[in-house]
Amino acid sequence: MIQDLLVYVVFMGYAIGVMLGIATLFTWVERKQSAIMADRIGANRAYIRIPFTNIKLVWMGLFHGIADGAKMLLKENFTPKTYDRFCFNLAPWLAAVPVLVVFAVIPFGGTIVPGDLIPALHDFFGSRSYTMQVANLDAGILVIMAISGIGILGTMLAGWSSNNKFSLLGAARAASQMISYEVSMGLAIICLVVTYGTLDLNQMVQWQSGTLFGFLPAWGIIVQPLGFILFLTAAIAENKRVPFDLPECESELVAGYFTEYSAMKMGLFMLSEFIEIVVVSALLVTLFLGGYNLPYMNDTGFVFPGGSTLAMSHLAVVVTQVVTFLVKVVLVGCFQIQIRWSLPRFRYDQLMRFGWKFLLPFAAVNLVVTACVRWLTL
Amino acid sequence: MSGIFIAFFSALAVVFAIMVITMRQPMRAALSLVAHMVCLAALYACLGAHVVAVFQVLIYVGAVMVFMVYTIMLLDDRDMSYQWVFSRLALPAVVVAGLVAAALWVLIGRLPVTAPAIATAAGDSFTFSSFSVAFMQHYWFHFELATVLLLIGIIAAWAAVKEGSNG
Repeated sequence: MIQDLLVYVVFMGYAIGVMLGIATLFTWVERKQSAIMADRIGANRAYIRIPFTNIKLVWMGLFHGIADGAKMLLKENFTPKTYDRFCFNLAPWLAAVPVLVVFAVIPFGGTIVPGDLIPALHDFFGSRSYTMQVANLDAGILVIMAISGIGILGTMLAGWSSNNKFSLLGAARAASQMISYEVSMGLAIICLVVTYGTLDLNQMVQWQSGTLFGFLPAWGIIVQPLGFILFLTAAIAENKRVPFDLPECESELVAGYFTEYSAMKMGLFMLSEFIEIVVVSALLVTLFLGGYNLPYMNDTGFVFPGGSTLAMSHLAVVVTQVVTFLVKVVLVGCFQIQIRWSLPRFRYDQLMRFGWKFLLPFAAVNLVVTACVRWLTL
Repeated sequence: MSGIFIAFFSALAVVFAIMVITMRQPMRAALSLVAHMVCLAALYACLGAHVVAVFQVLIYVGAVMVFMVYTIMLLDDRDMSYQWVFSRLALPAVVVAGLVAAALWVLIGRLPVTAPAIATAAGDSFTFSSFSVAFMQHYWFHFELATVLLLIGIIAAWAAVKEGSNG
């Protein structure tokens, strides 16, 4: 009992640390990557001076994240004259908390046996094993859909309670966009559920550790290439980032639904956007890119296509899985930021037409084809 | 342990349900309803029915309430009708509601106690696969019937609104 509690507290701490850490890293990646793409120098101003020396640590502008956080925490927290202060204060939390909760069901590693991992703790833990996941639910993917839907409420509440026409327009755009793209996202996920035959994210990862035709790793991106593109597009639209950043497009709406927010409340909106990049990356990795496993890898080691195997110790497997997951998440996140700096913004009617007349039919056709293939191969 | 959670979320659900009625501002009433539904989902989760809890949040909070909040967001904020005082019949209504609750309490006390025992025996074995099997074998007809009834309701509402706008 106490062992379970201890392990899950560690898992929770790790999950929150990963989300906030990588989200902060992505704020730096967003600046530096755009700078590289635009042939600029980019973020290089913030530094930490080693006390009593003249040595300034710049580290390619990595400290800009700390500077940002400190700035937002120390700025004046200005509240406009609004008809509902309570809703105004509630909105950033409603936007940020669901994004944090979603990560709970994503597995960030395979099965761990703490007793085998650290021999000194063998008496304490015995032979208990845990899947590296905060909440091991059998309908994990549905939980993600359910909880991420609450985030829309925060966006709408922010725009409505700001008592500002730009905010209200931004919130109306954000809500209709998120509702529209959630449909395609749901259909793309159903295709995956039909393919894998499970709703459990951990089992999905284990399904992907097999092989196709004897040599291809059975990753979701190979089995469901169209589903991958649909999910990626819908996820970026859900996150309201370029090219789908109509709700906050600065040339028309100042900053959209969070125009009136300042200091850390605005920071919460920004942070939730970056955490959502992390969560979307983690989801893409889990659903389409083999999750925490390398190709041909499972919980005991490698099984190569030729039939040769490579057994690994428990410690090596756990470390490999955790590191693989983090590297994959960071790479997919950088890819999302690459998209942000590569594409121009849609017009609003184009956005809606794209969502309903292009993505949705493709998702529906994909589902029909997937269901037929699955029916024939069962 | 789970008894404490059930009591906590039940109390919270009742508080939010009362707030849905007593809050005069539409947005706050809607948010209370959201909170009430989340409490219900938590109750289902405490009882081991994770599937029902997920669908409670997915459908009611994620879809129904989002549209309701969307509508309230676009209402005219100069409409101050929500600042009117309560109806003079509020007090009798509260008394009648209390009587109904008391009557229910007494009646349920007299029911044979076999029914809840079965519900608790199901425990945490109510997984998604057992839900799917039960749904597809026994309840698919009721589900489809409900969708048809809802469609009829939408058409009726549309017809009623159309009637009003012509007149």
